[in-house]
Amino acid sequence: MEPKEVLDELKTILVARLKFDPRRAAETTEATALPKGVEGSIGLDSLDFIELSIAIEERFGITMDESEDLAPHFASFATLSRFIAGKLPGA
Amino acid sequence: MRRVVVTGLGAVSPHGIGVKAFWSGLATGACAIRELSVIDTEGFRCRIGGEIPEPVAGSMRRTRADRFALAAAEEALTDAGLAPDEREEMALIVGAVGGGMLEAEEWYWATSRGRNTRPVPAVRSVLPCAHADALAARLRVRGPRHTVVTACSSGAVAVAEAAALIAEGVVDVALAGGVDAITRICFMGFNALKLLDPAACRPFDRDRRGMSIGEGAGFLVLEDAAAARARGARTYAELGGYGMTTDAYHITAPEPEGDGMARAIRAALRAARESPAAVQYVNAHGTGTPQNDRVEARALERVFGAGAALVSSTKSMIGHTMAAAGSLEAIATVLALGHGMVPPTANIETPDPDVHFDCVARTAREIALDCAISNSFGFGGQNVTLLFRRR
Repeated sequence: MEPKEVLDELKTILVARLKFDPRRAAETTEATALPKGVEGSIGLDSLDFIELSIAIEERFGITMDESEDLAPHFASFATLSRFIAGKLPGA
Repeated sequence: MRRVVVTGLGAVSPHGIGVKAFWSGLATGACAIRELSVIDTEGFRCRIGGEIPEPVAGSMRRTRADRFALAAAEEALTDAGLAPDEREEMALIVGAVGGGMLEAEEWYWATSRGRNTRPVPAVRSVLPCAHADALAARLRVRGPRHTVVTACSSGAVAVAEAAALIAEGVVDVALAGGVDAITRICFMGFNALKLLDPAACRPFDRDRRGMSIGEGAGFLVLEDAAAARARGARTYAELGGYGMTTDAYHITAPEPEGDGMARAIRAALRAARESPAAVQYVNAHGTGTPQNDRVEARALERVFGAGAALVSSTKSMIGHTMAAAGSLEAIATVLALGHGMVPPTANIETPDPDVHFDCVARTAREIALDCAISNSFGFGGQNVTLLFRRR
């Protein structure tokens, strides 16, 4: 799966699991930041990150190791898509 | 009052994932009580229990119990053939006790020993009501929602409460059941009460020495009979009535004459307009503790008369699955009606001479059934009887 396809899946998760307005989800690009408080971000808070992590693990069948610092991977859709794509089988 | 029918079943049990594995284990009288691996039992008299024998799907960020609940609930909804839009307004009633305690214990044990762990899943999911949170969000269930905490009868009370909401017309459909994972506090608590048998439990055996703990999840889809008929749903059984009483007697011991239990059974009969003679099978609470089985047999004798019904204990095969027990046993009762087969009581060697009932020792019995009850009794004397009729 290419990072671009991963990004599309993440947009689906935004709507289905994080209850984003579909239009707002469609506007996101690779450059869009995730965490609340960052300029131009979609404003995810700590509970959103837990829900997002569960959804990612269940959608892509991967495990994200809590003992590693995951914050840099969750900075933007670009970093997150690359991180997920790198964990998929065949990557 | 509207009639309530069962149109979907889902189970995660020590016999495996799915209703098929559950029933196949029960029908063959297999005992799924084995050495525990989910918690460390080093140094305890008892080292066994009814543990889920295979990995259950779902993110490991979810608690073990939440993964059980999701698997059983999804199976029940699929089994009922409810489309997503038909689920939206249904009620969700969950019997729970342990919540995310297993993961909270892991976090606490690691932290108190100086190992840095991130407490995220533990903190978010520790309360018993966390299962209902996870289920509602994942399955998009948006009707009334309760979490029932009545100790070992929680799963059965959940089914009764769901039936009440349907009977009174609050909702047409409800997803109801119970869930629990094995936890250290539960295992050690029952150990401290000297209620755990070091060998697999032997309900209704003369030499029984206590219970075995277990884990799992059982969910049922309950539905207004007319609504189920209108959408052409397959119906397993009718929930004819239920009775709920309290002993108001002791924190752990049942009232010795079985008064509270007998009142629950009679209340269920009254609600279902059935005579005691109509009940052919009793799926007993049957924990295997000396006290429970003696008092339960006394209560049954007071209501039905000696020998008047077949009696068996699901816990003899899967252990006491705590908040899941009442709902898994409701499923066992519904399937017994449908299959015309009474699951046995495993592990009986010498029937207790003070139990004046045929407890279906070790081998299932084929018999056409029209009416059966399932008993669940929680600590503190929280008694529930569910009565099911074949459809």
